[in-house]
Amino acid sequence: MLKTIISKEFLKNIPRLLKAGFSKESLKNAPRLLKATVAKELLKICHTLRLLKVISAREFLNNLLNLRFIMGLLLCVVITVACMAILAHDYRQELADYDDRVNMQDDFLSNYATHGALFWTNRHPKPPERFRPLIMGTVRDNALASFDANPLPILFPYLDFLFIVTIVMSLLALLFSYDAVTGERQRGTLRQVISNSISRTTILCGKFIGGTASLLIPFILALLVGVLYINLDPTIQWDGSAWAELGLLTAASITFVTLFYLLGLMVSTLSRYSAVSILNCLFLWVLLILVIPNICPYVSAQIYRIPSIKETERRNREIERRSLELARKLQTEVIKEFRSKYGKLFAEWESMKLAGVGDAGPEHRKAAQQRAADPEFRAMIDAFREESSRATRPAFRARGKEEKILWGDLERKAAQQTKLARYLACISPLADFVYVARDLTGTGLRALKHFERVDGEYRGRVWKYADKKLEEGREKNPAFNRESFIDLSNRPRFAFKEEALRDKLGAVLPYWGILVAFNVVFFVAAFAGFMRYDVR
Amino acid sequence: MAPEDKVERAIREKLSFTAAAKLRNRMLARVLDALKRSQGRGQSVLTLIIAKELRHSLFSYKFSIVTVLSTVLILASTYVMYRDYCLARDNYEVLRSESDEAIAVIPPTPLSIFARGLDENLCRSFGVGGTNIEVSEKQQSVNEIFKLFTAPDLLYIIKVILSLCAMLFAFDMISGEKETGTLRQSLSGSLARPILIIGKWVGGFASFILPFFIAVLLGTILVTLSPKVDMSAQDWAKMGLFLLSSTIYLAVFFSLGLLVSCLTHQSSSSLVISLFVWTTLVFVIPNLGNVLARQLVELPTVQQLELRRTYNRRKAYFERNRADGLERRRIGERARAEADQVSEEYRNRFNRLAMISQNITRISPAAAFTFLATDTMGTGMAEERRLKRAVLQYNHTIRNWPGRRDRYPVFSYQRSSCREALGPGGLGNLLILVLLGILSCTGAYVAFMRYDVR
Repeated sequence: MLKTIISKEFLKNIPRLLKAGFSKESLKNAPRLLKATVAKELLKICHTLRLLKVISAREFLNNLLNLRFIMGLLLCVVITVACMAILAHDYRQELADYDDRVNMQDDFLSNYATHGALFWTNRHPKPPERFRPLIMGTVRDNALASFDANPLPILFPYLDFLFIVTIVMSLLALLFSYDAVTGERQRGTLRQVISNSISRTTILCGKFIGGTASLLIPFILALLVGVLYINLDPTIQWDGSAWAELGLLTAASITFVTLFYLLGLMVSTLSRYSAVSILNCLFLWVLLILVIPNICPYVSAQIYRIPSIKETERRNREIERRSLELARKLQTEVIKEFRSKYGKLFAEWESMKLAGVGDAGPEHRKAAQQRAADPEFRAMIDAFREESSRATRPAFRARGKEEKILWGDLERKAAQQTKLARYLACISPLADFVYVARDLTGTGLRALKHFERVDGEYRGRVWKYADKKLEEGREKNPAFNRESFIDLSNRPRFAFKEEALRDKLGAVLPYWGILVAFNVVFFVAAFAGFMRYDVR
Repeated sequence: MAPEDKVERAIREKLSFTAAAKLRNRMLARVLDALKRSQGRGQSVLTLIIAKELRHSLFSYKFSIVTVLSTVLILASTYVMYRDYCLARDNYEVLRSESDEAIAVIPPTPLSIFARGLDENLCRSFGVGGTNIEVSEKQQSVNEIFKLFTAPDLLYIIKVILSLCAMLFAFDMISGEKETGTLRQSLSGSLARPILIIGKWVGGFASFILPFFIAVLLGTILVTLSPKVDMSAQDWAKMGLFLLSSTIYLAVFFSLGLLVSCLTHQSSSSLVISLFVWTTLVFVIPNLGNVLARQLVELPTVQQLELRRTYNRRKAYFERNRADGLERRRIGERARAEADQVSEEYRNRFNRLAMISQNITRISPAAAFTFLATDTMGTGMAEERRLKRAVLQYNHTIRNWPGRRDRYPVFSYQRSSCREALGPGGLGNLLILVLLGILSCTGAYVAFMRYDVR
């Protein structure tokens, strides 16, 4: 009632205001008039807000007393806490395992390191992600390529926080909203509400606020309980950035959940009966959550073909063989040349070398060391080394180039395909959310790449250190080679640092934006549907 | 008046044995006739109910949406997985043509189109002969998005989506009819409750399963028409077994939906409970059980195993370089024995983990079905174990091969037959499914007997 009076008076005022604007007395009356209208407008807003509060509180309480709420609460709390407790335990095991691996590597590199073995033993293990109790990280390829890799996760992917949000919460959100409009219409209460002086916008907003509040409160509570449980453990310590990431993760989850609430609301405003509305909701849910994300990588693999990895490997081996043949041919020429040049001296060296330095016993090595004291012999060795490496260089260079082209081509095409799959999957909010959550918490593909980068840099540093050691050894002893022990106990240590939050956020924001856009679209559609809704 | 009394009176009245006997016979015949007639009526009522239920679902919105969804999904998934199979087949051709190394590689099975399971793992090439078994990379490792989501094969569609549809079909069969008031009317006549519930079950399930079968048949025929797909009789038998087990699996979920419907009085609450049950059975128990099993068996990660192997190998190499003739040989042998022991121990522990996690998750029909289906299709855990054993055997043969390198025997492997797949484990899974189906059916029956229809 009040609202209609206010708006009528306001309407009456408009011509007078306009007239006053042009007349001369207006200068005197204007402030008072303006003040009055502003006050009335404020009153109107206050009134609407009060109504909004009433509607949302009603929706909230209505949900609270519902079976749905109790079930939802139960499911959410039980699964979240159980899952986090189990995963926290798993995380502790993983940490212990990681320590074992680091110790093993340390032991090896300190006691048995040789320059030749560095290639296989220099890979630093990936520390477990700190968000692992919440989200299981994606695994590195080389772990899956083992003969003994555990195949069970292929059949049953692990259950984690991502699952809880994407499956359980989205389903609950739809269950809370599918009959928000249709159910009230069927019961007849919607007609009564609308016959009052409440605008449809207020009702819709009230429903949204109340509904999402009743949905999110158990969710956030469960999450808090889980996180607190995780942080009770002294071995797990989260710093400020981790808490910031958790906050952002929660915000992203809220965006995702409201998206599905709005989807349900939209479907509800577009249908007449709850039975139809729930079917449509579940149909959309199945498509968006269960079908599109899973089918997209396969579709993209069909659309954008890439060369088979097996075929590429085969061609690579061919290149390798050809270049080795070439190198051998080139080297025989050098050997021929040296034979004619140095004669017996070279034959002596050849007999030592052909025995294989790696295979040579201690007596051989000793002999080599003694021989190397001879300056002539030494000069010959150096010359030979230089000459043969110079001669074979074009062969290896050509091979490197060819290999680079081959793998570069595959890599480029694979990147294209991945990109296509990524963009195709964006239609599904689940995929968007998975990207956001994983990349934000450092458990996704981006984190893997980041680790590869850090690890690569670290390996480079270790290589450099080892090269220096090798040089030092060679200077002291000419028989010192790639199979001799080098002391790496003072090597640079590996230190892993999470990617900066700002970088992560920058990568994540587009996908988050899509989620927000979905929210807006669904809200607008729900709004339009509700405006035209026949409440009878 | 009871027929016996009549007979006695007749005896008393006529005092004639033959007359009494005649009368008794006539009475008996009449009773039998009445019984037969009522039975016939019961049967006709049952067919009536089934027909009504069928008609009711056929014209419902639910039926059309579920049919469209399942048909489109099944066809799309079959096509997508078929293309993927072709790719795997091409890869296999490439791998097989490389005969300069001793490798163990098996062709992908056409059944992986329907239940992919671990087929991609199985079809990698295993390079044997060294201290370590070298495993080739998967094709999918190039596209990283594959890592984030599961394969959308027929097994996934049945396990996740169609089970949901089955529950959606059944959730308002009783509670919905009660709300609309028709249940009260049907039971006010002489209709017995058992007939009603049986009729509802049969009619509802038939209307649900028929479109599914049509879509699967269509997909299968389309795929097998292609020359690249070569299904043997054994494969067809496996496919039949797979369809049988999926029917039982879907029947379990249908009966569970009916049970929930019989336990509640409002269709909205039965929907909520149904979805709750579905989420728990399909996702929570299998996936959480899998993680839980890892806590029960102490198993180092496979990364640690690989590292240990690498370091052991390198250590032995290092020591060998610094030793003379006899000692070197001993070091090599020791390293090999150590590596074998580490692997052996790991594999034993891993097998225990697999068994425990199978036993934990099996209480959920979804997990039992997954194990059963992938095992019958030859893409499951049992097949993986078998193949690994065969590869290890082959590795052993190659290592101790006395002859020349180019005369290596060829790796041969036959996927397990239908009967082997239904060995103790497979049969157990099937029994679990059947048992769960019977339990939920009986539960629904009993709950409906006690149902308050007002």
